[in-house]
Amino acid sequence: MGFYLTLAINIAVFSIAVLGTFMLTGMNGLFSLGQAAFMGLGAYISAILVVNYHLPFALAVLISILTCAFLAFLVGSATLRIRQDFFALATFGFGQAVTAFMTEYVSVTGGAMGFSNIPNFTTPALAFISLAVAIFIVWSIRRSHYGRDSLAIRSNELAAKVEGINVLKHKVIIFIIAAAFAAYAGALMAFHTRYVEPNMYGWITSVTWIIIVYFGGRDSLTGTIIGAIILYLAPEILRFTTAWRILIYCVIILLIINIRPRGLFGTWELSFKPLLKLFRSKKQEVN
Amino acid sequence: MDRPVVLSINNLTKMFGGLCAVNDFSGSLKENQIIGIIGPNGAGKTTILNTVSGVYPPTQGQIIFKGTDISKFQPHKINHMGIARTFQNIRLFQDMTVLETIMTAYSWRSPYSIFESMFSFPRVARYEKEIKEKSMHFLEKVNLVECAEVNAQSLPYGMQRRVEIARALASEPLVLLLDEPGAGLNQTEVHDLVELIKGLHKELGLSIILIDHRMDVIMNLCEWIYVQDFGKCIAQGTPEEIQKNPIVIKAYLGEEINNA
Repeated sequence: MGFYLTLAINIAVFSIAVLGTFMLTGMNGLFSLGQAAFMGLGAYISAILVVNYHLPFALAVLISILTCAFLAFLVGSATLRIRQDFFALATFGFGQAVTAFMTEYVSVTGGAMGFSNIPNFTTPALAFISLAVAIFIVWSIRRSHYGRDSLAIRSNELAAKVEGINVLKHKVIIFIIAAAFAAYAGALMAFHTRYVEPNMYGWITSVTWIIIVYFGGRDSLTGTIIGAIILYLAPEILRFTTAWRILIYCVIILLIINIRPRGLFGTWELSFKPLLKLFRSKKQEVN
Repeated sequence: MDRPVVLSINNLTKMFGGLCAVNDFSGSLKENQIIGIIGPNGAGKTTILNTVSGVYPPTQGQIIFKGTDISKFQPHKINHMGIARTFQNIRLFQDMTVLETIMTAYSWRSPYSIFESMFSFPRVARYEKEIKEKSMHFLEKVNLVECAEVNAQSLPYGMQRRVEIARALASEPLVLLLDEPGAGLNQTEVHDLVELIKGLHKELGLSIILIDHRMDVIMNLCEWIYVQDFGKCIAQGTPEEIQKNPIVIKAYLGEEINNA
């Protein structure tokens, strides 16, 4: 597989996880520093089930998603009652506990050496179609009352409560979906890089996703996707600057967040309506 | 005067640490009645509304609504049972149009599940369209139809207040709690507001608890008034009785007025 195709799959798969963070942090204002741990769990569970237990790929992925969703339900029900800053700390603890478990439980996970010999099942088509479906899901949720509730809870939780919105239930649902997204991305990533190691899924990755969401615009789905593409591409493009790479990367982020506090795209969304209109008016002309 | 009681508050006490915000308040609200709670700042008026709407539980006492003690219920549960409220310091949602703000009141009644909304099932769009029309209906009631697509927080204060009232009405409540609806409004706006509340009360048959310290609002609207001072209920009665009550005059003006 060529370098560019591999990179494109990487970005597509990470974007799915970033979409989870978009729902959680962007739409609901909840900062989870343990999102990457769900991706790690998704990767490990699906890989171990396929390699050691010879389960079919699809079933293994499904089990990994359901496990992470259930874990998110437990963690979410316990931690989403507390204030949002404590939620960030609690998820941080959860994430670090999960990576510690992956590192220490050597007999199953391979420890810090990582888990290898995973077959390559993530075809380019699977990765890109998955991303498209993930975007569709987030777009749909935003159009339903769950999207409106998110915005309401983010801007005034008390008012949302007295409007009859069950805030805890809403947050748990969103947390579960975000975790499922991360888990699915993890499974795709495991069968793409054919290797899993605990380091990839620490809190730094979770923070990177939050930065991407704020960089692209927490109110813009389009911005989040383009933000993910830019920020995952940037390290590769900046490769020629060698040691200065990280510094330049950080300066770009700082500039964007200072110049455009609502993110690169603000609330702007890519829309096909103007195109459709153009198409329709042309049709009428033909008629 | 033998209408059934919809909401009764029995011996309600709320302590914040050592501070007694509400001390042994009892009162009842009959069907299709407007009652008022007045009193100077810090008298515990808003605390009463907050305990009724479930923002925090009372330290002691019961709040009976539809035969159930709702004093330990969560705010959303209380809303589902049929009590809606507005806030003294307006609490609207950021980045939302007026119409969307009203639509949030329908969220908990939506028939579709999260799975249906994840995959844009046709039912979602159908229901959204339906509640859009219903919400417009409530905007009509508060005369805000032409502002439906405007960002709610960019409206002038008096209109924001009406958006909040419309949002509360969209819950289709039996009991409406209005926390100082006249606060921060000018004289004409207050006049419009009083007319609006009168109209809604007549049209929808609501029972309303109104808090205000503006006498013109309270005296104009309420059938029965409770007077709070330093957490204690010092008097209750009809507007005429309250206006003549020497204890009330003392609480408001700080001194006894001799017959002039």
